[in-house]
Amino acid sequence: MFDVILQAGASVLLDPVTLGLMGIGTLAGLLAGAIPGFTIAMGVILTLPFTFGMSPIQGLATMMGVFVGGFSGGLMSCMLTGIPGTPSSVATTFDGFPMVRSGKPGLALGLGLWSSFFGGMISAVILVALAPQLAFLGLEFGPWDYFSLIVFALTITVSLSGDNMIKGLIAGLLGLFAACVGEDEINGVARFAFGSDHIRQGFAFLPVLIGLFAFSQLLSDVEDSAKAKAPLMKNSAEAIRVEHRKAIATVLMNWINLIRSSFIGIFTGILPAAGGSISNILAYDQAKKASNNRNEFGKGAVNGIIAPEAANNATAGGALIMMMALGIPGDIVTAIMIGALMIHNIIPGPSFIQDEPLLAYGVFIAFFAAHFFMVGLQAFALRLFLLVTRIPMYILASVILAYCAIGVFALHNITFDIWVMFGFGVIGYFMRKLGFPLAPMILGVVLGKLAELNIARAIGISDDYSLFVTRPWSLFFLIMAIVSVLFPFYQNAKKDTLFTKMYVPISMILLALPLFLMGSPVRMVVGGILLSAGCYFIYKRSSILKTI
Amino acid sequence: MTNNKSDIIIAIFLLCFSGVMINDASNIRDLGFEGMKADAWPRVVLWLLVVMSSVMLGKSYLKFKTVSDKDNENFSINLAKFKNALICFGMFMLFLSTLDYLGMLIGGILFVFGLLTLLGGFSHKLIVKHLLVSILSIGFMWMVFTFGLRVILPEGEILRVW
Repeated sequence: MFDVILQAGASVLLDPVTLGLMGIGTLAGLLAGAIPGFTIAMGVILTLPFTFGMSPIQGLATMMGVFVGGFSGGLMSCMLTGIPGTPSSVATTFDGFPMVRSGKPGLALGLGLWSSFFGGMISAVILVALAPQLAFLGLEFGPWDYFSLIVFALTITVSLSGDNMIKGLIAGLLGLFAACVGEDEINGVARFAFGSDHIRQGFAFLPVLIGLFAFSQLLSDVEDSAKAKAPLMKNSAEAIRVEHRKAIATVLMNWINLIRSSFIGIFTGILPAAGGSISNILAYDQAKKASNNRNEFGKGAVNGIIAPEAANNATAGGALIMMMALGIPGDIVTAIMIGALMIHNIIPGPSFIQDEPLLAYGVFIAFFAAHFFMVGLQAFALRLFLLVTRIPMYILASVILAYCAIGVFALHNITFDIWVMFGFGVIGYFMRKLGFPLAPMILGVVLGKLAELNIARAIGISDDYSLFVTRPWSLFFLIMAIVSVLFPFYQNAKKDTLFTKMYVPISMILLALPLFLMGSPVRMVVGGILLSAGCYFIYKRSSILKTI
Repeated sequence: MTNNKSDIIIAIFLLCFSGVMINDASNIRDLGFEGMKADAWPRVVLWLLVVMSSVMLGKSYLKFKTVSDKDNENFSINLAKFKNALICFGMFMLFLSTLDYLGMLIGGILFVFGLLTLLGGFSHKLIVKHLLVSILSIGFMWMVFTFGLRVILPEGEILRVW
């Protein structure tokens, strides 16, 4: 194992070309994260075509750079101008911007930068420790369990769609349907091709994702003529000297907040579809609740910067854990990352770390190394960011639309892929306008084929459908799916109802059941803890029940 | 743009779409092998889509009936709001339709120049700026992909003849 890690480390860290590409990737990610209207996913999408001609490790290292840089880039714009560069840096604005306005821009940027760094490092350690173990666990999964896991991934995406749960479900189903078009994986029979040879081949994964996400985003960005013609930022910002030493000392002094926020980020990243946009707010909220100086929050509190920035970078590690170990994307960015891996003939899944240890550990090491690049390149990225923000959005959008077309063509050298991107771009744009969340559709496209393959395998092995509920892992994921479907109702329900009082304890008790069925001592202990906690909560709330 | 009226229209559209696709699913060949048939999974997905679209239709209709007529009348499709998006659609479609003749280099430059001018304005200064941006950006990308990444981009009839 140690040999593999050394070899992987050498292939990433001792190759100047790989290091250079990772640096460029990180810079691209920092810029994509910083520019309002752009997102990390957009950064990953735009960098992707350049990786086609690279070796897998170079391509993956570049993508890791973009991924890590993107999570940290948002802090530049939110602190200097008060506009969050990405949704994952919204909470940083609450205290980052006031601290800059109060005359401490160097410290504010330093705190954001080093919190991101330490948060990322903590998640990288957890990633290396947990991903192989989770992959090992994944080897226990049969097709029934895998299918139920995908159902859970889709339901949690839908449950996070806010008020639009039905629309989220419809979007997810449309994604699953898009994945059905073309030859099916099991029998090789054409489906919904309508006589077209191109459609018979099915829709390539990346043109669909680029269309749905990037193309539709660009159209939304130029929708308002006045805004599209104005420079990206009206507020002027200047390059600032970051106070590194003071920032490092301050971040380390607040280590409890740092670790708590990092773990919030990791946990949120592991959950399918719950990305940095949620973790930064959650971590900020927890930091505020735990603080003795709550009144300082919103006025430039140190912990108000540390929490969201540590959490959003830690989310990247969490999302990678699921992606690397089980092949399930944590969010839109990791969904696109899976597409990027597939370009290099790598299909993440439980056996990936065992079958391709060099690449897998290469990804881990690249994730580590990208954080150092992120710190080193922040000052340069800041200057570039200030230059880019002088360009009006309509110029950027027009050039990027053409670039998307070139990049998509480069994928398989066929024009049909550009038509697919265009078609899904139009669909994505109208879905945005009509209030349909795109994340469920994107995950549907990514997971559709996997879901069909696993259900076909399950039925092929046995026609006993009860296996979906009698196999412990499958039952566990199905219960999790039901819990996640009910979650929005729990959130919206009034506090004193029977449902809100019993939702958490009953979920815990139900989840304990499959853990007991698994038989392993550790899982039985975890099951016992869940069962005890569930019963305790029911007992504690019994007085309220009596009043009801 | 979302309101109950638009949701009703979308739900009906989705029901029609699902109907057409379910009908087409009957054309999927059955090879007679054991196990799951090729049309089984898409049918499950499409029927679920029918159920969800029906729920959306029902919910939107109920809301439509309960809110005042005035609220419902507020919905109108303001095409002017989508002017820029429609320009992008049109230009991109034109670019794709002419790609075989113009190629990626010329077509790309014309696409970017056209889009920039239609979105940004027609003054002399802007036209020069747009021309420069389109030539430099597409020229640079074309060179990177052609010579750097060795991707054979569509050449087009014009460049081929030339």
